[in-house]
Amino acid sequence: MNKLTYSLLTVVFTGALSSVSAQDLNGMEIMELVDEAQRSTSDSAFNRMQLSTCRFGIKESRITCAERPRVKSLESVGKNYGLNLKDTKSITIVLEPAAERGIGMLSFAYDESDRDNETWLYLSALGRVKRIASGSSDDDTEPASVFGSEFTTEDTETGKLEEYTISVVEETTESGRDVWKIEMIPNEERARKSRYSRTISYIDKERYVALRTEMYDQYDKEVKRLMASRVELVNDVWVARSLTMMNLVTNRLSNMAILEINTGIAVEEEFLTQRTLTDVAFRETELEKLRAQID
Amino acid sequence: MNKTIKLGAFIAPLFLLVANEIHAQDDVLILDDNVQFDDGAIFNDDSFNFDDDLFGDAFDEESADDESWLDNFTIKVSQQIFGQVNNHSTELLPGFSIPQEDELSNNRLGINIRYQNPFAPGWLLQASAQAKAYWAADYEYETNDDRVDTEYRLNELFLQRSFGQHSVKFGRQTVVWGETVGNSVLDVINTSEFRDFTIIDIEDARLNQLMVVWDFFGEDSNFSTFVNLYPEFNPPAVRGSPFFFEPAFNLTDYDRDSELLIEVGTQWRKSFEGSDIAFMAAYLYENQLRYEDPISGFGDAVGEKNDFLLLGFSANRAIGKLLLNFDLAYSHNVLADSFNFPGTTALTSAINLRKDQIGTSFGFEYAVSNEQSVSVGVQAQMVLDEDEGLLPGQSLFNEGVVGSWLMRYSNSLMNGDLVLSSTMQGDLKADSLLVLLGADFTINDNWAVSGQLISINAASDSPLLLFDANVHLGATITYSF
Repeated sequence: MNKLTYSLLTVVFTGALSSVSAQDLNGMEIMELVDEAQRSTSDSAFNRMQLSTCRFGIKESRITCAERPRVKSLESVGKNYGLNLKDTKSITIVLEPAAERGIGMLSFAYDESDRDNETWLYLSALGRVKRIASGSSDDDTEPASVFGSEFTTEDTETGKLEEYTISVVEETTESGRDVWKIEMIPNEERARKSRYSRTISYIDKERYVALRTEMYDQYDKEVKRLMASRVELVNDVWVARSLTMMNLVTNRLSNMAILEINTGIAVEEEFLTQRTLTDVAFRETELEKLRAQID
Repeated sequence: MNKTIKLGAFIAPLFLLVANEIHAQDDVLILDDNVQFDDGAIFNDDSFNFDDDLFGDAFDEESADDESWLDNFTIKVSQQIFGQVNNHSTELLPGFSIPQEDELSNNRLGINIRYQNPFAPGWLLQASAQAKAYWAADYEYETNDDRVDTEYRLNELFLQRSFGQHSVKFGRQTVVWGETVGNSVLDVINTSEFRDFTIIDIEDARLNQLMVVWDFFGEDSNFSTFVNLYPEFNPPAVRGSPFFFEPAFNLTDYDRDSELLIEVGTQWRKSFEGSDIAFMAAYLYENQLRYEDPISGFGDAVGEKNDFLLLGFSANRAIGKLLLNFDLAYSHNVLADSFNFPGTTALTSAINLRKDQIGTSFGFEYAVSNEQSVSVGVQAQMVLDEDEGLLPGQSLFNEGVVGSWLMRYSNSLMNGDLVLSSTMQGDLKADSLLVLLGADFTINDNWAVSGQLISINAASDSPLLLFDANVHLGATITYSF
C-alpha cells in the first residue's frame, strides 16, 4: 500500500515538456521528461477519482463489462517534502462504497531507502487510529492491488528509471497520433520484484502522454494492457483523465477516472496528520477550504 | 419450539452463491492489436472498441455534484444464521452430563444505520443505531415464548465541534485506549457485551456511553481527555443466550438512586518515526458489577460497583513488515475477587479486598505479504500482594498470573474480494481453546456474505466447560447502501 493513491494519481500525469527537440531524445530521456512532469504535477495536490472494476467480455467486437462494475470513490490530498521534494505525505478517504465509507489512510513515503514508509489507518469499527505494518520502502515490497483494482502499486510507481533498459523501438502512430513505441526492460534486480518482464508504451510525441501500455510476463505473453483516454490540458500539463487497465489473465478491467485534478494548492501541514483521520469535523472543514481554492 | 432446525439447509445456498462467484481463468486473453477507446477526438473507432463511458457517467459533473441528504446515511442490512452442528454431551461433573444437540441458535435480521453530517464548518453530528428481529429458532425468539422478538438500540449519538487545535465531542461515543488489538488491558473505558459466540471481536462488543471528549492537537503531540457523565456497567447475560445461567437471584443493573457517578481520564500521545507512544491516567468504575446476595435472602441480587485508578502506557514500533505492540496497566484499588469473564456475571461469596493490579498486553503483527498477515497478542494480569488480608483458607478467584492469548492469520484473495481468516484464542492456563475459521466474500459494492466455523475445547476448570467440544457454524449475508 506504499504511496498508494498518491502515486496512483501521479502516474497519470504526463507533460507537454521543454524546448528540447523531441527528435533528439532517446528512450531514457523521453521517460525522464515524463517522470519529471509527473513530479511537478504531484505536489500539493487535491484529487477526486473513481475506480471501477468489472469482469469483461467481448461482444460484437466491443469490450464490455460482463457484470455490474464495482465502484470506489476516493478523495486524496498529498504534498511533497524533504530533499528535492522526494518525500510524500498523503491522505486518502474512501467515499464509496457504503461498506467502506469513511475509511481513511495516512501515508508518509520516504525516498531514502533506509527509512521505512509509515501508514496509519482509521476504521470506524476499530475506534482508533492504527499503525500498519506496511513493509519498508517500495523497493522491498511486492506489487499490491490498489484498492482491490487491477492497478497495482508497480503500475503506479514513478521514478527508478535507472533500473530499466529503455529504448525506442520505433516511431509510429497510435489512435491517429504520432507516438514513440518505447520498450522498458527491468534489470536483474528490478526483475525479481516485478511482475513484468518488459513493457511497451506508446508515448504521444507532442503531448508526452502514454496512450497505451502493454505489460508482458516472463513467458513474453501480454498479461495486462493499459489504455488512456480523455487527454486534457490541465494547468499546462496534458493529462489522461481516464485510464483503463485490462488484466488479460483474469479478464477483469479497472477504469480510473480522475474526476478532479487540482495541483499547486496550499495544503496545511496540520491536514496531513492523524487528526484528519479521526476528527471528521476538522477534516470536512479543511476539505472545504481546499475546494474553495479550486473554485 | 423447533430445536432441530438444521443449519445445512440455510447455509448451503449462501456458499453456492459464493462458489459461483469464485472462478479463475488461467488462459491469457489475446487481444486484437486494434483494441481502442472510441473516446473523444483523439481516438478513432476501430473494429474492436472499448467505451469507458460505461462506468456510470463518472465524468458527468451534474451527477457528481448532485448531493442529497441521504448521502449522510450508511445502512447495512444483514441476515444471520448460526448454530451448533455436532451432537454430543458435555460432562460437567463426574457422572453428570448434559446433551448438546445440533440446533440453530441465531436466526436474526439486523439493520444498522449510521448518520454522519458535517452540517457546518467545524461541526459534526454523528449517530448510529441498530435494530434486530429474531426469527423462529433464535434463542431470543424462544425466550419470547416462540414469538418474533425485536430489539432496538442507539449506539452513537454525538455532536462535535472542532476549532483551532481543539475538538470537543459530546454525546454517546466510545473511547479506545491501547495498542494491542483484541485484548488490550487498557481497553477498559467502554463497557462491552459478548452476548453469544457470534461476537468474538471487542470491536463488535463495545457499548457507547455518554461522554464529553476533548482533544487537543499540539504541534508534536496530542492530548485526549474524557469525562463519562453516566458510567454504565456490562449488562447481565440475556436470558436464553449461551452465557446465561439461572441465578439464585435476579441480576439487575446498578441501583444508583440519585448518586452522581463520573469517570474521567486523559491520554497524551506522541508519534515518532516508526513508533507511537501514549501515557494515560483515569479514574474509572470497573465495568463488571459484582453481585451479592440480597440481605433479606430474597429479591434481586445487589450489584456492587467499584471505583479504581488506572495508570497506563502504550507503545508500538514498526520494523519493516513487523509491528510490535505493548500496553502496560497499573490499577489501584480493584476488587480482588471480581469475576470478569466476558458476558457473564458471578454470584460468588464476596471478599471485600481492594488490591492493586498490574497488567500487560503485548504482541506483534507481521505482514507476510501484501495479502497475508499474522498477529499474536498476549494479555496477562496479576494482583499484587494477593495473600495480604486473606483469612486462613481463603483464596482469590484469580490467583497468580491470569490472562489470555490470541492469534490471527488472514489471507486476502481475489484483490481483496475474498478474505480467509483464522483466529485462535485461549487462556494462559491452557484450560480453553477457541478456534474460529472465517471467510468473507464481497460479491459487489452492496452485497457481501461471510461464513464462520467455531470450535471450542475447554477443560473442567474453565468457565467455557459448558461449551466443550462444541462446533458452531454460521453465515451472514449483508446488503450495504
